[in-house]
Amino acid sequence: MSTKNKKVMVIGGGIAGLTAAWELSRFNIDVELIEKTPFLGGYAIRYCCKATDECRQCGACTVEAMLKNVVNEPKIRVHLATDVEKINNSGRLSVDLKKSSYKPDSATEGVIRGYSKNNSPLHVIVDKEKCEENPDAVPEGAVELDTMGFSGKLDVDAVILASGFKPFDAEQKGTYGYEKFPNVVTGMDLELIIRENATVVRPSDGKTAQKIAFIQCVGSRDESLGNLWCSQVCCPYALRMAERIKHKNADAEITVFYMDIQNVGKDYAGFYEKCKTEFRFVRNIPVDVFPMENDSLSMRYMNEEDGLCINEEFDLLVLSVGIMPGPDNSNLSDLFDVVLNEDGFFAGIDKLNSTSTLKDGIFLAGTVAGPKDIAASMAHAGQAASEVIKHLGVS
Amino acid sequence: MTDMKNTDMEEINIATDVLVLGGGLTGIKAASEIAGSGYKVILVEKDAELGSQKGPESLIGLEEEYKGLQDLDDKIKADSNVEILTQTSLVSTAGVTGDFIARLSKGEEVIEHNVGAIVVATDFSVGALNEKYGLSLTDNVLTQSRMDELLASEADKEKLANKTVAFLVGLGQEGNPLVLERVLRSVLALQEIDGCNVYIYAGELKVASNGLERMYKDSREKGAVFFKLTEKPEIVENGKTISFFDPVARRDIEISPDLIVVEEEMSANHLNEELAEILRIDVGPLGFLQKDNVHFFPIRSNREGIFVAGSTREISGLPSAWTDVENIAVEVRNLLGDGKKSVAKNKAIVDEAKCVICLTCYRCCPHGAIYWGDKKAIISPVACQGCGICASECPMDAIQIGGFDDGAMSEEVKNGVVSGNGTPRIIAFCCQNSGFEAGEMADVFKLQLPDGLRMIKVPCAGKIDIDYILNAFVAGADGVMVMACHPGNCKSENGNTYAQWRVNDAYRMLEEVGLEKDRLCFVGTASNMGSGFSSIVVDMEKRINELGLSPLK
Repeated sequence: MSTKNKKVMVIGGGIAGLTAAWELSRFNIDVELIEKTPFLGGYAIRYCCKATDECRQCGACTVEAMLKNVVNEPKIRVHLATDVEKINNSGRLSVDLKKSSYKPDSATEGVIRGYSKNNSPLHVIVDKEKCEENPDAVPEGAVELDTMGFSGKLDVDAVILASGFKPFDAEQKGTYGYEKFPNVVTGMDLELIIRENATVVRPSDGKTAQKIAFIQCVGSRDESLGNLWCSQVCCPYALRMAERIKHKNADAEITVFYMDIQNVGKDYAGFYEKCKTEFRFVRNIPVDVFPMENDSLSMRYMNEEDGLCINEEFDLLVLSVGIMPGPDNSNLSDLFDVVLNEDGFFAGIDKLNSTSTLKDGIFLAGTVAGPKDIAASMAHAGQAASEVIKHLGVS
Repeated sequence: MTDMKNTDMEEINIATDVLVLGGGLTGIKAASEIAGSGYKVILVEKDAELGSQKGPESLIGLEEEYKGLQDLDDKIKADSNVEILTQTSLVSTAGVTGDFIARLSKGEEVIEHNVGAIVVATDFSVGALNEKYGLSLTDNVLTQSRMDELLASEADKEKLANKTVAFLVGLGQEGNPLVLERVLRSVLALQEIDGCNVYIYAGELKVASNGLERMYKDSREKGAVFFKLTEKPEIVENGKTISFFDPVARRDIEISPDLIVVEEEMSANHLNEELAEILRIDVGPLGFLQKDNVHFFPIRSNREGIFVAGSTREISGLPSAWTDVENIAVEVRNLLGDGKKSVAKNKAIVDEAKCVICLTCYRCCPHGAIYWGDKKAIISPVACQGCGICASECPMDAIQIGGFDDGAMSEEVKNGVVSGNGTPRIIAFCCQNSGFEAGEMADVFKLQLPDGLRMIKVPCAGKIDIDYILNAFVAGADGVMVMACHPGNCKSENGNTYAQWRVNDAYRMLEEVGLEKDRLCFVGTASNMGSGFSSIVVDMEKRINELGLSPLK
């Protein structure tokens, strides 16, 4: 198979970018993998295993496996903390890269750590002054963020945009009190809580949460925000996490507030039936959350049977935040001259060619083109790789 | 890249023709993609015509794209790399990937093909659900398919003017986004017709597909009324009136529709089970040909070289079927290459002197990688995934897995039984896909781990022979752990189940020799469970500390 000198740039090191890079490398194609943050893996690498006694098919473990593939593949050159500056479109695509302006969301420490053992470097120094105050706390092998990033020009034959999504910012729904009340967390926060503690504890006091509420569709299917899409992942992650919580703590009382429960797994009807025996489902999305004593939370919702309002207290409230267009979409859309759809995700040519764009040589993979779960992102990335291989005439 | 491993490699020739089963749109697309990458394709369809199974359901929402599909039949017929066999079905298969023998019957004739890979592309079946609503199909009570037909004909469409149409969806089944998409598409089409009033009685709206929420909103803005119910409405006299109690308005709402459209269910093709038996692949939930196992997603079956596309594996519209097909095209190229394949010589070696051809290995191999010759079982180096289930199950101990032979494993166990200052010596047999990764993660993240813990990597928990467990105790281990993938997550499907059985057997034996059961445990783990791994092994050490060190050493 002649693939000499063919080179593809993949922008974004989340699960779609990793998968696309890996699939291309299997065809002897050189890959330049560009990641804005100092770590590969994107959001998906942060998710916890949701197995109970048995696997729940969340797919989080497949992200670890794919990351391992990529970091061990010499045909993939990884550029961390790097961003796209501009592109010059003449024959081959020439892309100017620059060090990214990445700043961690909340750097309380001088050093941040990747979420996977396969991250290299594993520790990145984001605040030198803090580290100098306490040099013993700096792990061996930590790399300064300032020294990372690639500036320069790379010539490639095709580009795959795989820059992913942004979780909905729950603070936009102010009445839920996210970031105000300690025991209001997002689904993303809960993933990390389970991952780090191997159990579900309340952020306020570290105690096991007994009475837990999930609110679905936070940021998704929301006309007031203009977000007219279902994020497709929130019902699956919420119900899988709820199952996991119940499995570890049979006394936990879990309520799910929802509009319409979306299907989870291949035997979705059976799974939903099982969930109905374990959790209470309330077809109503509460609007207001009030703080109570002991950092508990009170919510008001309508009872479907009699139409009356109920106030109820919970230990922990989980906001099932959805998938929003990536923060860089409009910038990347300008740079690569690829249009966004009305929701702000990248638009493929049509439904059957959702990884190809109207711009020659530019392809899409994963949630950059709309909400997807891990498995669907990987499949989409495989499709993108297939299209790139055809485009390059690799035979 | 180093060439070090090449000394253990050999090159073998494999067949590069590909068999595609199913001549619907998915099958045609698969044939076209695979032929496009230079392989000869045999496309098999049981009916007389290609594309004949393409119901309107798979084309929902694809009006524009469908224009490009109309010539797909013709294109495939003109492709010299594709041999089309209609009115043909698969009778039997033999062999393994790279060398399958497929026997096909076309009328009286039986045709044999040697193929390297097989793609299964069956379409889903559509069934009426009127009985679930207590309705009989009449001129006024229609299936969704019938409504699709009416809307496709200009003459029929005119007759729908000034009609009140009620849809029933999501109350006779759990449903899925494709079912809802069909409903919303006809609702939107009806709203273009003069004087048409549309009511939708819906259970849960399955909007988890791109564009559906927008269609839902558009149809409401155009005047469609959605009643979201938790149970079926009351339907009188085969649909003369439909009523339900509205908890918000606190009153009954009754409508007398001119037409009722009842949702349809989409189910697995009735041929799937028979095909699964012929191909020796698994039947998953609801009769689709893929287990709910993330390592098979999107397009793998349990057997290397047999791929499942679109509605063969789950309810799929054409967009996701297309995604599947492109993934299959990539996998086929990776698998078949140019027909010369470099394989590890020692992946799995059968000792002819010990093998009695009892076929235990043939039966237990989850990958269908084993067949037999005159003198011994033969393990295909292309199909074998190296899990080692066969090696552990073989009653004659005739099989060794490269890199994990019994001698090396027992040496590792002996060396692994080391004590850190009198702390318990714990041997943890760890699947390389889950427990071992989780353990490394715990180590790299500097989480708490017992001093006396030693992890021993195995290719799959199914490789953990009961002898390994017992020998670890004999060698002086105070505790033995088997860390497998969670049930349903094993890359070799049931390696973890085998491991669990062996642990259960070992419990009985420990009891007989008077060793406490708590010294042995089986746990489900995943590669990203660093903190979980740490807490599991720390708990194990605590339990052993309570028991004291092993009396065997």
